[in-house]
Amino acid sequence: MKKLILITALLASPLFAQTKEKIEVPYVAFPIKMGKGFDAVQANCLMCHSFGYIINQGRQSKAFWRGKIDKMITHFKAPIGEEAAKSVTEYLYKHYGNGKLK
Amino acid sequence: MERRDFFKKAAVVAGVAAVGSTTAEASATHQPIDNRKVSDVAFPEKRPLILYSDRPPLLETQRDVFTSILTPNDQFFVRWHMPDIPTHIDPETFTISVNGLVEREINISLNDLKTKFEQVEVTAVLQCGGNSRSAFTPIAGGIQWGSGAMGCATWKGVRLRDLLDQAGLKKDAEWIGFNGSEKAAYYETPEFIRELHLEELDDHVILAYQMNGEDLPYLNGYPLRLVIPGSYSDSWVKMLSNITVTDEYKHLFFMDVAYRVPDNECECETPEKKAPKTKPITKMNVKSIIGYPTNGGKLSLNSHVVVRGVAFDDGHGIKKVLVSTDEGKTWQEALLDDGKAGRYAYRAFRFTFKPTKLGKLTFMAKAINNIGEEQPFANEIKWNHGGYKYNGIDEVTVEVI
Repeated sequence: MKKLILITALLASPLFAQTKEKIEVPYVAFPIKMGKGFDAVQANCLMCHSFGYIINQGRQSKAFWRGKIDKMITHFKAPIGEEAAKSVTEYLYKHYGNGKLK
Repeated sequence: MERRDFFKKAAVVAGVAAVGSTTAEASATHQPIDNRKVSDVAFPEKRPLILYSDRPPLLETQRDVFTSILTPNDQFFVRWHMPDIPTHIDPETFTISVNGLVEREINISLNDLKTKFEQVEVTAVLQCGGNSRSAFTPIAGGIQWGSGAMGCATWKGVRLRDLLDQAGLKKDAEWIGFNGSEKAAYYETPEFIRELHLEELDDHVILAYQMNGEDLPYLNGYPLRLVIPGSYSDSWVKMLSNITVTDEYKHLFFMDVAYRVPDNECECETPEKKAPKTKPITKMNVKSIIGYPTNGGKLSLNSHVVVRGVAFDDGHGIKKVLVSTDEGKTWQEALLDDGKAGRYAYRAFRFTFKPTKLGKLTFMAKAINNIGEEQPFANEIKWNHGGYKYNGIDEVTVEVI
């Protein structure tokens, strides 16, 4: 009987997933600088990607941050209005900017 | 989660918060950032790694892993584009579909893949086109990876060619589209699809279900991913669900906009004057990384040190790796492994050295491939807007005590 079980297990093994249950991708809190415009970041950016994805781009110019938002609108079809786009740009430039407009 | 909780949690430093410096120096590349610590958080089937983002997951392998030709699955880097990754795939019901300009559309189960086709293996390096991006100044757009957005594994699966033969390509077939299962938050967001021309798809291209003798980890594309030895990882579609054969190239974001470099000889440009034409990053250039010692490490005076690392290119193969301990003035040849893992794999190198002077000591490693291409010094590498294809001579500085 024991042998039979072993054989069955071997036969079936190619289709055993290493992980039998649903995997769970952990939630990670990144340090966030609070300030004017963060509401807009939360409402328009964080449903698609983490805050880490933003701040790990490094310090960037105002034009860079605006360009990223435009990319999200144009290529990724994020429904971000002009007012929100401006708020997000200002927030990112103020807290994660490199001091250059371009 | 309540908003207040979110803010409270946000105060905890759990991930990397790598905000670069604000130096306004002229455009010059340098060594990639190398001081990041592994996260406290372990992702599924992974040990704690350097963490940039949880959604989508972006994880980097730390330098000291790069001393042998195979990168362990639980330390292998992770890079996704979309927030929604399937968190459960049933291997019993999973099928891969081949359709479009084929004689017969087929849906093949995992079991059929493993039993009805010739099983093949290839050991190949998987590297993100943006690996080492943090080397560029001004800071190039994208995740500021150190040097660990790469790894090397033995991939097992079936030849793409065999699958296409089973379906039978029609006369007009020219492009093969590969669709992964990751999903965006918005329906309208373009899917992660890659298209490759039939000519790019030689017999080395496989659909792999196994990595280093185990199922692919979910975060590396379980249950099936494309393996294109020699090419950057943006083409190695993960969680492959669908293969569509067409006669015409479709315009796709991840092909036409992302992962491109200037289409000129130096593949370079300046932030003020971006190149008018770009091309896909495709093949990897020659590169090496020192895995031991690591930056900030200490070595004992007069001890017998074995410097170790890995070198690779796009499949021409590594001819030699040179090491310098005098800032690149003179170079000595390192010993290479037997190379039996094949031309797409890491070549492990080792270099014995006896430190005879106290204080700071810098090791540099430079790989040269079989067609004579060699790594330039970091500061010789010209800028491109996406921070792609950095392959500067690697440096590690230690202290001799």
